[in-house]
Amino acid sequence: MTKLSKGGMDRRQFLSTTAAAALLASVSMPKIAFGAEKTVKIGFLAPLTGEVAAWGKPGLDGCHIWADWINADGGVKVGDEMLKVEFVPYDDEYDPSKARAGAVKLIKEEDVKFIMMLGGDPWPGASQVAEREEMLVSTLLPSDLTPDTEMLLAPCEVHPIYNVTGVEWLAENKPDLKTAVICAQDDALGKPSVATYLAAFEAAGIEVLDEPIFFDPATTDFAPIMSKMLALKPDIICLDTCYADYVHPLTEQAFQQGYKGQMISCTADFYQKMVEKTSKEFMEGFIFQFPDFDDPKLNEPHVNFKKPNDFYQEYLKRYGAGEWSAVSWEYASIMDLWADAATKAGTTEPTDVLAAMKEGGVGKHAFGEADWWGEKLFGINNALVGLWPVVAIQDGKAKIQDFKSIPDWWDQHSDLLIKHMKALGQMYYQRT
Amino acid sequence: MHKPETKTAGFGWLIGFALLAILLIVLPHLLSFSQQEILVMLVIDVLLVCSYRLLTLTGEWSLAHAVIMGVGAYASALAAKELAVPVPLAMLVGASVSAFLAFLLSFPLFRMKGFYFLIGSFAAGEVIRLMWKWSDLTFLFGGPKGIKRIPSMPDLFGIDFFEPVNYYYLCLIVVAVSLLILYRVERSRIGLTFHAIHWQDKLAESVGVNTFRYRMLAFVISAFFAGLAGALYAHYVGAVAPNRFDVEEMVYILIWAIVGGTATFYGPIIGVVTLTIINEVILRALGVDEMRPMLYGALLIVSILFLPDGLESLVPKTKAWLASRKERRENMRTEEVPAE
Repeated sequence: MTKLSKGGMDRRQFLSTTAAAALLASVSMPKIAFGAEKTVKIGFLAPLTGEVAAWGKPGLDGCHIWADWINADGGVKVGDEMLKVEFVPYDDEYDPSKARAGAVKLIKEEDVKFIMMLGGDPWPGASQVAEREEMLVSTLLPSDLTPDTEMLLAPCEVHPIYNVTGVEWLAENKPDLKTAVICAQDDALGKPSVATYLAAFEAAGIEVLDEPIFFDPATTDFAPIMSKMLALKPDIICLDTCYADYVHPLTEQAFQQGYKGQMISCTADFYQKMVEKTSKEFMEGFIFQFPDFDDPKLNEPHVNFKKPNDFYQEYLKRYGAGEWSAVSWEYASIMDLWADAATKAGTTEPTDVLAAMKEGGVGKHAFGEADWWGEKLFGINNALVGLWPVVAIQDGKAKIQDFKSIPDWWDQHSDLLIKHMKALGQMYYQRT
Repeated sequence: MHKPETKTAGFGWLIGFALLAILLIVLPHLLSFSQQEILVMLVIDVLLVCSYRLLTLTGEWSLAHAVIMGVGAYASALAAKELAVPVPLAMLVGASVSAFLAFLLSFPLFRMKGFYFLIGSFAAGEVIRLMWKWSDLTFLFGGPKGIKRIPSMPDLFGIDFFEPVNYYYLCLIVVAVSLLILYRVERSRIGLTFHAIHWQDKLAESVGVNTFRYRMLAFVISAFFAGLAGALYAHYVGAVAPNRFDVEEMVYILIWAIVGGTATFYGPIIGVVTLTIINEVILRALGVDEMRPMLYGALLIVSILFLPDGLESLVPKTKAWLASRKERRENMRTEEVPAE
């Protein structure tokens, strides 16, 4: 046996000690940044694994493209400096206790200046930490907003309010459709969305047949749900804000059970797979709310998202066509808003950036100028609301049909939305 | 000859416990902020998995333990938030409600054994979990979003229990006392009866042991401490939701118990500590977030393949290896002496 030292260490001991030391170093040593470039760190606290990862991971991928482009241009201008942007991800696994640990790590150890979250279940875990540390946080789920959440913003996706635009467009363009049925998973995402669709259908003069069907999130057999819906012979089948794992089998069931009418859904993530499993003809006219970013309509002057078509091509090049989802661009668009506000504020300090972001009560939303809004629905004006696209599948490809104004709809029908939200216990003051 | 050896062994245990106590007291100060957060959850999980083991002593494996933890969490949260019960008392209320529920569930569940009990407990757990989500009870349980803004442990003598280190010490005391009780129960005649029911339930019945009552007792005690773990969780995180106590959480409890081993008191503790460090510290530090479930799964497979009796089986193996090594050295020395 070869002795590596006079102390008598053999090769096996040497290798195991070295491996242990390397592992220990990787666990305990802070990462050292070489070079003189100044960097601002942004936290990405969202599910990267598990059932809800589809609404976290693609967003992080989009952020990497955003950061590479911004950094290639020199970074974000803050005061007299150009700051490179570095994303620090933490997988919260959609669990509040892990979100709390993640928030602590990002704020106290990584010194991030802004945290982006998916929101929902994990938010209560992170909220107290964020409040104490006065950290600016964004969510994609404005149902997290309450009058107390002053540092929490919903600056991109005001789910589920934008769903009204799809129904409004449908009523204008297909006035012969008069009845609808709704199904949704019985959870925090499904319920407010059902309330919104109920309000939108009522505003559009479309009758909702029977009560909405709430199914358990653990459901795996969707045939009975679709049979029950089809038995009512509706003109429109509404899939609410179902997760991709439900939208796909429900759509397949509708196809297999011979449905030939209109379908509408909040999302149609990975819709190409649905087209493959059904047919182009069946999916023709399927309405949802999330465009592919190669759509030429995204080059209209009111759209603030920078180089959307290039962003889409780059995303497909890096991650593949099947990976694009509703959230692929959303976190990146929030970063546009944050970068503008940091430049305007001349600092990355969260409270100053928040003030700069909300200055004048308007902001540059990805799809156009928008208002900071939400007091009646969330108790606080921290949701950025403006135009939202209505998307339909045409010849197997998602295409924007129009941009509709959420504030315009709200001005006419706010009472309906509040009525249905109240009925389902979704108003901010009804939440426990 | 025996007395001095026993004394030496007792002294060794004392030194061991003293060192462990020092380590547990010093530990949070050696960790980063986020690792302190993980440590708090780890201590709560230790109580959870040890309470689960007590039930397994009777030979029954339940799939409702995560839900029973949730019952403690919900009950404690509601008592503190809606009835303004002081948090420490609310925690005891939460644990007691869990125990009472286990008592009620015993009547239908212990009509079944083995695989049927497993499935029955799963069904009972799901009924409770769906009740939390039920629309008509949203005013009470908060529906799918659960209960938020649960009162946290109030400051005591200026100690802020929102800080993870302070809450860790609180949990450490609660869990240490709970483990001591669980250990004493196992070592008592009651514990021996649990073992007897596990291995020879018909024989135990034939000598007058009421197996139903002992199974119920194990279930109730186990549920009390699971509920206490839930209450500790709820008042720290500040939120509870039905999904937090779903079958995935139950699978984690099973994995900790199986990988650690359930033959000894310390087996599940080794399991939960080792797997939590691997999953939450090492794999996260390696920056392989999306690969963690795969790597975690691979480690589990390797562990079950090569350590079918659990990580706890390493302890006697290590002892035997150290003893044989010592013996070899002594033999070598005795062989070398004549040569010199």
